[in-house]
Parts: sequence; C-alpha cells; structure tokens
Amino acid sequence: MLKRAVLVQHVPVPRASSFTHWLQSAMQQTWFYTLGAVVLVIYVTPFLWMILGSLRREVEIFQYTYPLTWRTFVPVEWSLKNFLDVLGMSPEGNSFGLNFGRALANTALVSAAVVASSLVVNTMGAYFFARLDFPRKGFLLLFVIATMLIPFEAVMVPLYIVVRSLHLQDSYWALILPWYASPFVIFALVQFIGEIPKELDEAAIIDGASHVGVLRHVIIPNAVPGLVTTALLEFQFIWNLFYWPLIAVGSKDLQTIQVAIAQQTTQTQVYWGRIFAGSVLASVPVILLFLLMQRYYVKGVVMSGLKG
Amino acid sequence: MDAMWARIWAGFTVLLVVVLVASLFAGALTPAQASPPQVSPAASQSQVAQTKAKVVLKLLAITDDAQINAWKEILDEFHKIDGGKWAYVDIAFETVPFQDLFPKIESAVAAGSDMDMVQSDGPDMKHYAFYRSLIPLDKFFTADEKKQWLPQSIEEGSYRGVLYGPPMMQSCSLLMYNKQMTDAAGIKPPQTLGTSWTMAEALKAWQKTTTRPSGSSVPSVWGLRWGQGTWVGDYEHGIFRRSNGAKGSPTYNGVGPDGITFVGYMDTPESIEAMQFYQDLHRKYKVTPIEAIPQIFETRKSAFMVTPDNRIGELNRLYGEGKFPWGVTGIPYFKSQLCHTGSWHYGISPNTKHFDEAMAYVKFASSDAGARIWYKHVRQLPANVALLNTLPEYRPGASQAIWVEAMTKVGVPRIQTPGYTEYQQVFAEVSLNIIAGADVAEQMKAGAQRAQQLVAKYKGWK
Amino acid sequence: MSAVAAPAIPQARRWWTTRRRSYAIAFLFIIPALVNFAVFRYLPILAAIRSSLWQYSLLGGYGQFIGLQAYARMLQDPIFWKSLQVTTVYVATKVPAQIALSMGLALFLARENRFAAFVRSAIFAPVVSSIVVVSVIWALMYHVQLGLINSIITSVGLPRIAFLSNADLALTAIVIMMVWKEIGFSMIILMAGLKGIPDMFYEAARIDGATRWQQFWSITLPLLRRVLMFVVVTQTIFSFQVFVPVYTMTKGGPLDATKVIVYYIYQHGFLFQDMGYAAAMSTLTLMILLVVSAVQMRLLRSEVDY
Repeated sequence: MLKRAVLVQHVPVPRASSFTHWLQSAMQQTWFYTLGAVVLVIYVTPFLWMILGSLRREVEIFQYTYPLTWRTFVPVEWSLKNFLDVLGMSPEGNSFGLNFGRALANTALVSAAVVASSLVVNTMGAYFFARLDFPRKGFLLLFVIATMLIPFEAVMVPLYIVVRSLHLQDSYWALILPWYASPFVIFALVQFIGEIPKELDEAAIIDGASHVGVLRHVIIPNAVPGLVTTALLEFQFIWNLFYWPLIAVGSKDLQTIQVAIAQQTTQTQVYWGRIFAGSVLASVPVILLFLLMQRYYVKGVVMSGLKG
Repeated sequence: MDAMWARIWAGFTVLLVVVLVASLFAGALTPAQASPPQVSPAASQSQVAQTKAKVVLKLLAITDDAQINAWKEILDEFHKIDGGKWAYVDIAFETVPFQDLFPKIESAVAAGSDMDMVQSDGPDMKHYAFYRSLIPLDKFFTADEKKQWLPQSIEEGSYRGVLYGPPMMQSCSLLMYNKQMTDAAGIKPPQTLGTSWTMAEALKAWQKTTTRPSGSSVPSVWGLRWGQGTWVGDYEHGIFRRSNGAKGSPTYNGVGPDGITFVGYMDTPESIEAMQFYQDLHRKYKVTPIEAIPQIFETRKSAFMVTPDNRIGELNRLYGEGKFPWGVTGIPYFKSQLCHTGSWHYGISPNTKHFDEAMAYVKFASSDAGARIWYKHVRQLPANVALLNTLPEYRPGASQAIWVEAMTKVGVPRIQTPGYTEYQQVFAEVSLNIIAGADVAEQMKAGAQRAQQLVAKYKGWK
Repeated sequence: MSAVAAPAIPQARRWWTTRRRSYAIAFLFIIPALVNFAVFRYLPILAAIRSSLWQYSLLGGYGQFIGLQAYARMLQDPIFWKSLQVTTVYVATKVPAQIALSMGLALFLARENRFAAFVRSAIFAPVVSSIVVVSVIWALMYHVQLGLINSIITSVGLPRIAFLSNADLALTAIVIMMVWKEIGFSMIILMAGLKGIPDMFYEAARIDGATRWQQFWSITLPLLRRVLMFVVVTQTIFSFQVFVPVYTMTKGGPLDATKVIVYYIYQHGFLFQDMGYAAAMSTLTLMILLVVSAVQMRLLRSEVDY
C-alpha cells in the first residue's frame, strides 16, 4: 500500500479521526467523479453521435442535427445496413465490391509489421543514442530528427519515385518499408531509456554482459512503458495514414481502411452512412488495443481510504 | 553541457551545408533518369507472346460505384466487337476520390508511372494538354464521328483546336426544387426554359420558402442551396458573375480571349454587382446558410437546389425510385441566362505501352453503344447526341427534357484556360470571403489580380 | 570497417584501436535505422531541396535553373508571410494548451479505477478517429445557425457566434478542435513518463511533509523533464505541419485566417503547378523547425540525472 505513492491526492493525516478521514475521501471522490464526468461528456458526445449515426438509415444522419433534441442522437430507425454495406454483406455492398473487412486486415497487417520492425530497429537505434559511445552522436541525432521536419506533401512525390525505382510500388512493401524505422520513436525511446539509471547497465557490464545482453536484460524490461506507448502511437500513425497509401498503392486488394473510407466520397455524392460505419470500424480496434495495453503505461495509484 | 551544445550547433551548420551541396547532386531522382523504361516481367512476356497474351490496361479513374460498373460492362461488350478481336484486353482499375484524382495523376506523371488511360475532368483537359500529359486523339476521329457529340464537349476536350479526349457525358446545372415545399408556399416554378425566373423573381420564391419556426431566428427550411456538396466551386458559383453580362461582354466571357487575363473580366462592375447579390443571399436575405450544411436538399431542409441531373440518382438511392417529389426549372439569371457545362473525358497517357488497345477501347466506349451502357449505369446527361434524342426521359415534355433544352440553348463551357485549377482555387477563396462578409469589390479586384499572376505562366498557350 | 580493405596487418593494427572497435560495434546498432532514413527520407528531402532551385512542376517536370529565386520570391509574397504568421499563432496557442491539459489529465487519470480507464479511452478515441469525420462533426457543432455550441450559447441569452466563417475566430476554432483531438496522444506519453518515476521519491517527500503542489514542482516536473521536452518538441513539429483539418474545414479561409503554411505549400505544389516554390517553402519550414527544435531542446534539457 505505502509503496504505491501518492500522486494526486492527499494521504490522510495519520491522527485524523475516522470521520474527517471519511469526509475527506468522500470529497475527493466527488471531485474526481464530477470532473471525470465533465471530461467524459466533452469527449463522448461527438463520438457517440458518430456511432449512433452509423446505426441510422443514411438519410437520417443529417436529418435531426437541429433543433437539438434527443432525436439528434437516437436513431428513429435502427439499422445495420451501413455496416453490412461496407463489409460487402448486403446486395448493395456486394454489387459495388465493398470489402472493408479486407481493408481492415490489410491495415492491421501493415501496421503490425511496421510496429514489429520498429520495436527492433528503433530500440536498437535509441540504445545507441542513449548509451553507446560514438563521436558526433549529437549531430547524428539531429540528422535523425531532421527527417521529421519537412512537410510530407513536399517529399511525397520524391518518395514515390524512390519506391518506384526500387520496384516496390503497389505492394505491401510500399506501405511497410519506408516506415520501418521512425525518427519519432527513436527520439521518444532515447528519452525513456535516458531515465533508466545508468548504474544498472554498468553493473550488468561488470557482470560480463554484452551490449545485446544489456539491451535485453536491463534496458528493455525497464523501458516497457515507453516501448508500449511508442508502439501504440506508431501503430495508430500507420493505421491512420491516408495520402501515402493512396499514392503508392493502386490495387483494391491492397487498399487500407482510411483509403477505403475516403473512397465513399464521390464527385456527386457522399455516402455518409458508409463513412460513419467505416470510421467506427476503423477506430474501435485501436481503442481496444489502447484499453488492453494500458496496464503497461498507466501508473496505478490506489485510492487511499477507499473500501471497495 | 555547453560544449555539447556548441557541438550540436556546429553539427547543425555542417548539416545544412552538406544538405545544400548534396541536393545539387540529387539529380538522380528526376524521373527521366530514375525510371529507365522498366520492363516488368509481365510486360516482357506479352511482348514475346505478341498479341494473344493478355494485355492489361491500367486505368486511373474516380471513385464512383456506378461508373466502375459502367467501365466493366463496356469492357465486356468491347470483347465482343470486331469478332472478338480485343478479347485479350483487360482493365486494371485504380480509383481515387474525386478531390484526390488531380494530385494522384500529378504524382503518377512526375514518377513516370506506366498508366494507360486516365479519366480526365473537362476543365482540366487544357491543363493536361499544355503539360503533354495526354496524347492528342484528334486524328483518330473523323469529322463525322466528332459530330456525334455536343459541340460544348468538343470545345472542352480540345486544346488549340485539337481533340485530346472524347467525352463520357455532359452536365448542366438547373434549379431543382422540392415540390411539396413549393406547393405549400403556393409557388409554381416556370416549366419552360424561356419563362425561367430572373434572379429577382427567384429570390421571392426563395424568401417565401424559407420558413422560420415562430420565435426562432434560425430557419427550419432554407429557400436555397446553390451548388452540389458544400464547396463553392466555379461550376455553379461562377455562374453569378457571368450571368450579369450581356452575351459576348467581358463579364459574360469571364476571361480574356488570351485565356489568361482576369483583370477587366472577373472584376467588372457587373461582376461585382452579381457577387454583391450573392453575398446578400447569404447575409441580407438569409435564404441560404452562411456555413454550408451537408445534404441540405436531400434531407428536406432546403426547398431549392442548383444542381445537375445527377442529383436525381442520389434522391432515388436515398428514398427509393421516384419517391422524392422533385421538380426542376430553368436556372435564374441577371442579364443572360447560362449554365456551365462539362463533364468527364477519356484520356490516354503518353506513357502507355498499349496505345492501340487503349485507343480501341476509348473509341468503343465513346461511341453510341458505349455511351448507352454508360448512361444505363450513371444516369447523367449524355454527351452523345443520338443517345440524347432516343432516351424517353429527355424527350420534349418529359421530366428531364429541360436539361437538354438548357444544354443546347444556354449551356456554355466554363472559362477555357490551362490555368483553370489556379483560377478556381482563387475564385473559391474569394467566394468564401464574400460569404463571410468581406467587401465584394475589394475581393473581386484582388482575386482577379491574383488569378492573373498565377496563370501568367501559360502566356501564349493559344 | 575500412580495416578490411587495409592490406598490411601492422598498419591495420595501429588504426584498428579498441576504441574504434567499440565505435564500430556501436554503429551496428544504428545502421538499420540510418539505411531507412537515407533511402526513404533523405533522398526525397534532397530531391525536394534540389527542386527548389529549379522551375519545377509535377506535370511539366524540370524547367530552368533559377538558383535561389524561389527563396527571394517568398520574401515578397504577402500570403506566404501571412501563412507563416497563422502557423505560428496556431502552434503557439495549440501546443501549450494541449500539453498543459494533457499533463493535468495524465495526473488526474493515473489511477486504477474503471471509471478512470473509461475516461482515458474516451480521450484516446479521437486520436484514432478519422480526421475527416471528426472535422464534419465539429463543423456541425460549430455551425453558426444550427450548431450544438451555439445552442448552448443562445440558451443562456448570449448572441450567436460565427466560428468557421469568421476571420477572427476560425483559427481558434480549429485550435480547440485539434487540442481536443490530440490531447490523448500527448497524454499517454506523459502517463508512460509518470510510470517511470520511482515511488521512493514521493515517499521521501511525504515524510518531509511536502504538499501535492510541492511534490509536483519538485519531483514530478523535474523527473518528467526529458519526456516533457520530447512532447513539446514533437508536438511543435507536428503542429507546425498541420494540414488536414484546414483542408477539410475552412480551405484556408476566410480571408486567409486559417491558411497555414502546409496548406499554402499544398496549393502551390499540387494545384498551382509550382512544386519548385512549394519545395522552397518546405525547405524553409525544415530550417525553421530545425532552429526551433534545437532551441527547445536546449531550454528544456534535462538537468536531473539519478
């Protein structure tokens, strides 16, 4: 109990009577839930509108936006049609060859591949910058960070030319290879590794560990919150890429989910139902991933004085 | 610590110098050198096996389910013509959303992609032709064959009098309305083109159909949405300024005869007067929302909408065939009535290695037979005169007849210049500023100057 | 490494010192990443910088060599200056607001509690939602006549406010939306940083009778400095390159009030057939950000080691 340190709330003063103790924690609880509820409303309202919008008939989506009533949120006619359409499970979706399931699988494959290689390559790179001895290391780090500084719109076409000259276009490789190392992740991990006490690796080296050994047995176990966080951010970054897959990949079989969603805007019509359903399908897996992973990066603080 | 930062700053300087010098040598990345004729395994096989092996034409097209189905059925029929001569041709579709087609084509051209056919937007044809991104197809069509299309389509598809691509279809924006709402307001929109409302007359109808619940300043139904979607493109919004000039006047022409002069054409007193009216529609009469609302007409929140006939297809999709009570009347005008025309064209890329096959496909697709299949799926005003004359819905007296009449009598192409994209960006920004309440004269004058600067690089294109 | 090429062993001996050997081993750790950066990032960056010295358009290819003329042109382009100003205001308001709020939320929500987990996920949801859909929803909420926000404003008797069609407020509206959307991003990095702070520091502080604020200023903030520096630097970089919300919500208007630099770059590169000029502006962006990042890293450098 005591070891779980207090971050946000007072520790009860030892001599306090059990009543003041109770009152204090009750006030803390009220404060926490009230503020939490306000934050929740600000965040959930737009999102709820999107989710419930995806469960409406398309013509309803913008029908009840105003005046503001409960109808603005709750569908008049509940319908799974938008989802069936985008998954190609309805006659309409089928006749137009919609297959968001495939797009989701493509995106998951590409994002997972990038995260996997990124965890290896970037951790090694960050270890280099945080711990190893090398001349002009500061300059090299600048060289790495500088790659983030130019607007992607300016380098997209040259990158496409590079990818074409390597004959990678229109393949999964075009979506994976350019991103297998990330300046953002390296820069992040340099900070997280920097926070690990140096004495730990020095001790390991005295015990005869190699660099790889230090990395495996000292750095990685101690950098888990940083690794998980950057992996998650890298995952959502690749997951949400739009312009690059649009330019680099043409074939429908390789389409990613963001491109598939964008394809529902045509010159003359916007298929809002499909866009809302697609957007729900695209965000839910990553939110679940976020939930599953949070024990790795959330510091648990047990509420003091709280019984049950 | 400071020594480390001194090193970093020194490194920073070195980095800049290295980058600048190296950039001079980075010429290896120009496509001409970077992509020597790449013979992919598939391509070399097809060359070895001569004609019988499968040829796959790469097609860059816009995302549109109905259009893709049309391309596919045309391909099926194409396989059957000339005794099955073209049965070895297949098409690989690459589709991108409308607003990304232009960047996608540019990226493909810049990287030397091996695409064969490109779906090209009418107003961009001169742009592509200027940059030699399309092959001129003029000599593959006889004068008689060219007569099968509307003259506006020929003008839009041509550059310096040479046809670069035959049309897929045509369009012309008219004033559609929700019959229930006009009936409720006791309004009978004119049913022939000749009796179309002027802007002042139409304004009365828009005011009458704008309904505000008692006690509220916000309409529950607006009178008007001018234009498809929520943008302010030149296709519909550019009509205001041109309509306020007499036929042949600088205001009506919209751009100088050289296709690059906007000062004296876009910022005339008539043009400014028209755009003042445009501002008043939003801010003074309040018959149309200042900030656009998605699907406003489709969700029965506006009584009138200026749109081409492709809206009918969407209404049918949303409500079921014929369930939405729409009507249509001529487009309102100040001095001269006009609707902007134009739609998509077939284009062949100079990078193609299968010109004969692509050309044969384009020729078939743009013929009567191809246009008929296209119409079956897409249901938009055909550019093919023979087809137009046989479709029942466009016959005199039928529900969509007024579109044909408007097309032939008041349909004019958008301003013809290779700098159309540049102009349209400026015009849309100016229009948004005007809606937001900026000074109209100031905006139109600055916009004309800016557009003229941006297109100055096309000097002498005609 | 070039020792392999050295013919005579004694010569190589002298060159191949233990120190060099350890450098070589160290370098092996960074090589895979460097290869990626060289091929997929530096080649394109160099190509872009090179094209800024030519008349260059995507469709027309390379024209005349114009040297630094594109850079000189920038100095005389009022819209460029305006876009630089808009971008600066965007970054200077969005980044501090986002980091302060995400810091507060990270501290507030760092507890093992289902409700807290739910709130955290809700905050993270917009990070992974399509920006196009988010923009549509916010444009409706901001709508001058029918938006949710104006419903609230008018219900307490205040006059309606135009957000997106108002040159004075459009940028603020986008800042608020993007802070809302991206708080989750910086929040989880800060949470991971908090998790790395050993509990013993807080225990010691508590024994000394430090208040919550004192603990925050004397323990949390200094020990989070590296991570905080990282968040400030990267959020500045990303925010400076904001494009999509502007493209989907305001198209840079009204009156250029939201014309951020990357939107202007996009217009020139992809719509005005002037990729050379777009590349010049991008190169300048790179240099500005290089200086800004270096200064931030210096100001926020970590002074505490433990």
